Amino acid sequence: MFVLTASVLGARASNTARRAGTVLVTLLGLLALTFIIGRVMPLDPVLAVVGPDADSSTYDQVYRAMGLDKPIWTQFGLYLNDLLHGNFGNALLTGHPVLDDIRRVFPATIELATLAILFGIVIGLPLGVCAASNQGRMGDHVARVITLFGYSTPIFWLGMMGLLVFYAWLGWAGGAGRIDLAYDGMVPDVTGLLLVDSALAGDWEAFASALRHIVLPALILGLNSVAYISRMTRSFMLEQLSQEYIITARVKGLSRRQVVWGHAFRNILVQLLTVVALAYGSLLEGAVLIETVFAWPGFGQYLTSSLMLGDMNAVMGCVLVIGLIFVALNLISDALYTVFDPRTR
Amino acid sequence: MKTQRCKLHMGLLAAVLALGPITLAQAKTPADQLIVGMSMVNLFSIDPANAPGLDASGVNANLYDTLIKRDHGNPEKHLPQLAERWAISEDGKQVTFHLRQDVKFHSGNPLTAEDVAWSLYRVMKLNFGLATTWKAYGYSVDNIQSLIRASDTHTLVIDLPQVMDPLLLVDSLAISPSAVVVDRKTVLGHEKNADLGAAWLVTNEAGSGPFVLTKWSANDSLLLTRFDGYWGGAAKLKRVVVRHMTESQSLRLMLERGDLDLAYGMAAPDIRAIDGSDKIQVQSLPRGTMYYVAMSMKQPEFAKLKVREAVRNLIDYKGLDEQVMPYYGTLNQQPMQLGLEARLPDPGYHLDVTKAKQLLAEAGYPEGFSTTIRTLSEPPFIDIAARLQSTLAEGGIKATIVTGTGNQVYGAMRARNFDIIVARGAERYPHPYFSLRTFAYNPNNSDDAGLPNFQGWRASFFSPPLNNLIDQAGVERDAARRLSLYQQAQTLYDQQVGPIMMVSQMTDTVVSAADVKGFTGDDAEATRYLGVYKQR
Repeated sequence: MFVLTASVLGARASNTARRAGTVLVTLLGLLALTFIIGRVMPLDPVLAVVGPDADSSTYDQVYRAMGLDKPIWTQFGLYLNDLLHGNFGNALLTGHPVLDDIRRVFPATIELATLAILFGIVIGLPLGVCAASNQGRMGDHVARVITLFGYSTPIFWLGMMGLLVFYAWLGWAGGAGRIDLAYDGMVPDVTGLLLVDSALAGDWEAFASALRHIVLPALILGLNSVAYISRMTRSFMLEQLSQEYIITARVKGLSRRQVVWGHAFRNILVQLLTVVALAYGSLLEGAVLIETVFAWPGFGQYLTSSLMLGDMNAVMGCVLVIGLIFVALNLISDALYTVFDPRTR
Repeated sequence: MKTQRCKLHMGLLAAVLALGPITLAQAKTPADQLIVGMSMVNLFSIDPANAPGLDASGVNANLYDTLIKRDHGNPEKHLPQLAERWAISEDGKQVTFHLRQDVKFHSGNPLTAEDVAWSLYRVMKLNFGLATTWKAYGYSVDNIQSLIRASDTHTLVIDLPQVMDPLLLVDSLAISPSAVVVDRKTVLGHEKNADLGAAWLVTNEAGSGPFVLTKWSANDSLLLTRFDGYWGGAAKLKRVVVRHMTESQSLRLMLERGDLDLAYGMAAPDIRAIDGSDKIQVQSLPRGTMYYVAMSMKQPEFAKLKVREAVRNLIDYKGLDEQVMPYYGTLNQQPMQLGLEARLPDPGYHLDVTKAKQLLAEAGYPEGFSTTIRTLSEPPFIDIAARLQSTLAEGGIKATIVTGTGNQVYGAMRARNFDIIVARGAERYPHPYFSLRTFAYNPNNSDDAGLPNFQGWRASFFSPPLNNLIDQAGVERDAARRLSLYQQAQTLYDQQVGPIMMVSQMTDTVVSAADVKGFTGDDAEATRYLGVYKQR
């Protein structure tokens, strides 16, 4: 128990304000940079609207209607003004407000990325610990081969092979898409997460279909996270296992398992939080290749399609979301630091 | 611990066993539904006033109706649709359409001549790319309401604003994606800021076609449901489900597994791999669009006739047709589509490196020169460009390939900022007049004229005698004389070595399950699912 003095409260408020300021400046910088890149890259959003055979009067009309005749900073100012009023603009691709589109595609990616990161954690952590505690021995070599495979195998190829073996040959996995077409539109949209929505609706056949469709892409997507998490875990663990307190614990008669999991592993949890947060963040950005192979209507596909069209409203909206994801994950990771590491309190 | 592991293994095994049989049992698609896989990347507006893309036309053909349609692809013969009969006045300045009286929109509103007139007015008022078709005939937003009007509930009168062959206009009413009829009352009910329902119609429909748009989730799936009140009789299929799939091998696997009925846009190697299977049928649907190699005559090298002729001799037409274009296109060297009566036979251009070198030397380039080829980074464009790069090099022309998206490649061409381009273009429906207008016509060659809708202008090709021949054909009402004019224009284009050199005419290859029947493909990508069914 301790009393919060005025000076402590003041310091905390100042710290929070400073952090909020940093976040705002970061997001603003990110938006400005994306906006400029979008305007200077050789993509013409007008052509996407009018088609390549339109005459000049049509082209000019749409060019003006899209505000492209205004100076770039005026365009950016107008965009920010709309943004502050909660208006992200409409997407060329869908004609819908960008925010609605993101709300629609993001759950598909969250569902996939969450399952993938769970796979990464469940396999990657023990693998890294096993590799570190068996350094130079068979366990370490096996882990190295697995991580090398995870890092170096093209995910596109792996996706195709996965589909060929587990979908086409064995018939275990679902094919492309999030659910069998027979269930398309049958599950009430509550959270956008098909597994959750079908479970909430008590539609277990739809749940099984959604599960069958998500397991394979999630496993393949998670393979890279397995590699990353296990390599980082191994590295952190090796550092801990060479510390004197480990020898002391062993001398005191603790079993090898108790020392590895009870002492060394607990001490690397804080570092691992950052690793997992970063891995999850990159999965949430959208796994374009895996989404393409599995026809997964997610965030990555949406962002890529928008980029190819030069649809800057959609691209800016997506960039902002990605920025917010990383900011949020950093904040969560910092908050968890204080839980797991008393020194940071 | 062992017990826990055992439980875990048993759980996993149970899950696998539980999932497996369900998958196998559902490997066949429902008998009354058509499951289609295709890329929907280019499907971002289905507003008839602004849906120039091929994919959007394919969707709208099922949601909307036109007044008439072509009779087996003949641009001068038409069949009734919404109009049960029509008449062209003696002087050729007026066309009168008499509409069916039993047509209802999906909303239940009756379809009237007023809806037809308003649909065309809407296209002109919004002035997107598809308005170009009607502008070419002399219509404008100011005159269209007086020139295209309903004389009574089911009679539409169209006056021609300029001297021209009225059959051209009649044909445009059959084939233009903007010639479909929208439900005026429904659209105006969704109008915002006097936009004539433009924002709403991007993702919604107000048609009278054989299917209703039930759901469209961009880059995900699209659902068409049968319209039981269709005037031409209800479709045989209850639903058509289109799933966004960009990966050709995924399409192939799903077709083989029986989870897909029909796939568009598969890559040639995948089609080749399953062509011949008794479970699959492969259909080639001819399209009007042409693959071509175009040179910009703004570049001093290509302004010279002999250099253009040299390039023509460095295109390996036969090699491209046999090795690159199977499943993508059919050899065609004329600026006019195969099967048209007005089309002359191929002139027989072929790879002749010796002649090309001689021509280059005569043009003042004995050592060749360097240039660039712009093209899309996808097959068959990139493959045509690579083959061209190789044969140009044999003649001494060193070409660097610059790839980009369609937006970037066509953008550069529209801006007349290119050397050589490998691209695709032309009217989607074969027509002698419009093909020649697209490739060979250029009324004003100045940059300021801003005529990117003419590909001849984009390539800076300017030939007054050719313009004159095309203009004459556009107003000639005598069929024999018109035919002669079209043929003279092709001969002149050949003699002048036009810079846009056709290499192939596009075909769409559609792969479907063997039990899918009645899918014949229409004159263009406006393929209707009205008569499609499954024979099980």
